[in-house]
Amino acid sequence: MSTATASADNGNGVMTLENLAKFPEGQKVYSCMQCGTCAATCPYGEDSEFPPRQIITMLQAGLIEEVFKSSSLLNCVACYACMAKCPRGIRLTEVLLPLVKEQVFAHMTDVPAELQKALQNTLRYGNPMGESPRKRALWTKTSPVPVPVLAEIKRPVDVLWFVECYTSYHPRGQDNSRATAKLFHAAGVDFAILGNEEKCAGECARLLGEKGLFDTLTDYNMKLLRKYPFKRIVTGAAHAYDAFKYQFPAVGFDFELHHTTPFFAQHLDKLKPRLTKKLNYAITYHDSCCLGRHNGFYDEPRALLQAIPGVKLVEMTHTGVNSICCGGGGGGMWLDTYYAAKGYERLSERRVKEALDTGADVLAVSCPYEISRFEDALKVQGGDKRMVVRDVVELLAEALED
Amino acid sequence: MVNIKGTEQPRIGVYICHCGHNIAGTIDVAAVAKYAEKLPGVVVSRDYKYMCSDPGQQLIQWDIKGHKLNRIVVASCSPLLHEHTFRNATEKGGINPFYFQMVNIREHNSWVHTDHAAATQKAKAQIHGAVRRVAGHRALETKRVPIHPDVLVVGAGIAGIHAALTLANAGKKVYLVEREPSIGGHMAKFDKTFPTLDCAACILTPKMSQVGNHPNITLWSYSEVVKMDGYVGNYKIAIKRKPRYVNEELCIGCQECVAHCVFKEPKFPDEFNEGLGKRRPVYIPFLQSTPQVVLIDPEVCLNFKRGAKNPDGSPVVSDKCKKTCVEACGENKAISFHQKEEIKEIQVGTVIVTTGFKTFDAKRVPYYGYGKYPNVYTALEVERLVNASGPTSGEVILRDGKKPKTIAIAHCVGSRDENTNRYCSRVCCMYSLKLAHLLKEHTDAEIYNFYIDIRTPGKGFEEFYQSVATEGVHFVRGKIADVYPEAGNTGKLIVQAEDTLLGRVRKLPVDMVVLSVGLEPQADAQDVRRMFNMSCGSEGFFLERHPKLAPVSTFTDGVFIAGACQAPKDIPDTVAQAGAAAAEAMALIDKGHVEQEPNTAFIIEEECSGCKSCIALCPYTAITFDEAKKKAVINEALCKGCGTCVASCPSGSIKQNLFEDEEIFSEIEGVLAQV
Repeated sequence: MSTATASADNGNGVMTLENLAKFPEGQKVYSCMQCGTCAATCPYGEDSEFPPRQIITMLQAGLIEEVFKSSSLLNCVACYACMAKCPRGIRLTEVLLPLVKEQVFAHMTDVPAELQKALQNTLRYGNPMGESPRKRALWTKTSPVPVPVLAEIKRPVDVLWFVECYTSYHPRGQDNSRATAKLFHAAGVDFAILGNEEKCAGECARLLGEKGLFDTLTDYNMKLLRKYPFKRIVTGAAHAYDAFKYQFPAVGFDFELHHTTPFFAQHLDKLKPRLTKKLNYAITYHDSCCLGRHNGFYDEPRALLQAIPGVKLVEMTHTGVNSICCGGGGGGMWLDTYYAAKGYERLSERRVKEALDTGADVLAVSCPYEISRFEDALKVQGGDKRMVVRDVVELLAEALED
Repeated sequence: MVNIKGTEQPRIGVYICHCGHNIAGTIDVAAVAKYAEKLPGVVVSRDYKYMCSDPGQQLIQWDIKGHKLNRIVVASCSPLLHEHTFRNATEKGGINPFYFQMVNIREHNSWVHTDHAAATQKAKAQIHGAVRRVAGHRALETKRVPIHPDVLVVGAGIAGIHAALTLANAGKKVYLVEREPSIGGHMAKFDKTFPTLDCAACILTPKMSQVGNHPNITLWSYSEVVKMDGYVGNYKIAIKRKPRYVNEELCIGCQECVAHCVFKEPKFPDEFNEGLGKRRPVYIPFLQSTPQVVLIDPEVCLNFKRGAKNPDGSPVVSDKCKKTCVEACGENKAISFHQKEEIKEIQVGTVIVTTGFKTFDAKRVPYYGYGKYPNVYTALEVERLVNASGPTSGEVILRDGKKPKTIAIAHCVGSRDENTNRYCSRVCCMYSLKLAHLLKEHTDAEIYNFYIDIRTPGKGFEEFYQSVATEGVHFVRGKIADVYPEAGNTGKLIVQAEDTLLGRVRKLPVDMVVLSVGLEPQADAQDVRRMFNMSCGSEGFFLERHPKLAPVSTFTDGVFIAGACQAPKDIPDTVAQAGAAAAEAMALIDKGHVEQEPNTAFIIEEECSGCKSCIALCPYTAITFDEAKKKAVINEALCKGCGTCVASCPSGSIKQNLFEDEEIFSEIEGVLAQV
């Protein structure tokens, strides 16, 4: 049985807003002391009628229906900031907010079209862009190194590389994938991908409250993973990493799991001698929400960047646990038009302003959503001549000897 | 079942305590009493609401007389709490106090079980075991051991100072050990104290000077306790005296050496001023230091070889400096670059641990910007900034040289937060209000307190809050979630918090941020705990024997605690505890002796083969070897009743009072009787 959270089923069934108190994570919600940290740290806190603090009061006062009727929760980009700073340790982003969002969408008559489309696409095609599933592995034809597909090689591998959607279809995402393939080769890792069989891990749908869609995708992907023999799973998609780490264990996922950034940081001793090309860049690194705040990988990406000869690392004002979200999580990826209509500042633009202030040449990222979001934001801010956006793996691959 | 030795037959009384609802709410006490009635040897079996109360104890005494009881079993709480109560009642009834056995049906049963029927069944088994066991108990006598009248006080902040003075004034000899070069602790750094606003120095320094001059106090500053052996009444303590490179007896505190140091300007961060000021390699921590003795920092003094160590760990003297300090010291000849660490050994009867606290390291919450933005300060730094004897002589000048016009005070930094410390640090609300008042007085700035709840549950506290509010200090109910520089290089910081009463996120530009950091256990609290055989609570503070009834005692007899080493607390509470700890120590000393539990081991001489295996195993060095008889001998005064020798003796010739094999086996048989 798949549930809203990995730990939701403790014999009390599935956690809902009504039976929260039956679950340890649910009980924590009632320990809220109304300090407002969540609202103050929320990137859209100023624009939200019901920040998490208010949602909890409304829930306790029996007025939660009013929250369902508000579109306030559409502002949540699942950036984990409220959860990371909550002094009561309430798992807002993971537990409470998806349950509320589920109800918000159930009550909503006019779900923003862009979002609706992305969800329909994910259900129908296994990716939010609506691309053909048969073209999912097409990018491998342009890879500088061979990328074996599990169904074809018919042998066990060390690493199953879960590529994910943006990194399969989006042209800039494909750059990430080509770089990752190159790095696997350089590090001497025996790997293969699922190819066209792979479908979206669905984490953003889950954080949106679309549990049904997430469950469907989880069942599919879990069956698929069981089909092939491999030792560990590596993914460059930070959201897929989260889904595997926090949700899949509830359906029996017990594989060793890595995100590419910390994975390559572990292989730095092998990679470093081959990083011979000098890149004279000043780089500022953006801590992604999933990799940073949610999983604590702050040092690994910086260690990788510092291993590149010639690189100078500079920091933005908001880094680490305090990093500013790119605005793409929890469905935010498909709500840009909606936010613009509401007159909100785009978070990706808020972020690149800080990046530009550092005077760096490169904004380095480690989540596939960020490339397109920040490149777009740089253009809007008129900073695209001064700064480029690169994934950490792209920079590493660039520094590899030919 | 064990029979009572001799002709006497067991006549046992069993008493089941309800402990209000604590026990009776889970266990069917009446059914248990009825069950016990039928057990062999039981003459009386009763259940009663509170056995520890006066009528409860009376009941035992009357029954001993009326029913000619010769053994007593009480099933109630932990023996830690009331074993002595019921032993006393047994003795008052006219029989030996060790003809008593206690059963813990509260902590071991009702408090940890929810199934009433099963809990009742378990209580029956526990009591059956005790009934079988008590029948075989022998009459024992408690030993009396004389108490050494001297007291060791560890840590000389306000708690240690007050405890030491109380004892010394009562004529007790006190060793006061402080690890820093001066006594005074945190209180010496404060400007004024809440809620009365009396100046900390004015009330503390006279006490410091009394300590320094008291004939009954031996003050060892810049020293640390390194070892404690022995037992209550007779502790052996080893103290490390760290080298100051200045002879304490010869230094007259004139500080000519400081003035004549080759470093013309103070260059090194001054610990006492939280690094906000500078000092020379030869220095006195602060003007009112006690003792008035300078010290030399070998890490930076030019007459030492930087970083080099002798084989014994002491720094290497380079003799490269002109030694103008030695010249200035002249005939006093107090400076001694070759001074070595010294170990002092003393004997005391009791110990009072008053090692205090450390403040929370604000860097652990990165979004407050401490250590990143210079105008973010900790509260302790601000204490020094507003202090007339501080690095700026009391003028509030920021690290960038400006005077603040807007100040934010962030409450609960490192308190009430699952990411750092869950507990409330208890003093921060009040010291934040005090700092708000002082900063207002010194700067006339606009001051904003960002708080979750204002907690003022002390005498005069709420009135102080009210008065600070009327001074025009602002209060915003919301926890600060972010501190970052204002755009456009204004030099200001934005503090971001939700004003939860308005329901709006506020981004307030300020010149200065004050972090009201919480109180934490000292970094080496675990080492200190081990050394003095104490326990720590989950937050790392030293654990009191009972939170209500023994708040300054520990689980080691004769070792007491007071002040913030036990939990965060303010000065009035600290002083009250220090007085209490001194009184507890005096109660022991003036009694003149301690009674020792007779649960000691003894040797059946005829069966001892003289293999000596027990001697090496005894953790208390209580066993010696009688060469003439070729037998092991146990010193009862040293034996702590751990049972190691009993279990290890290959010939089974060591036994232990209250834990003889027959007693243990009959207890097991009783517990398992229903199985």
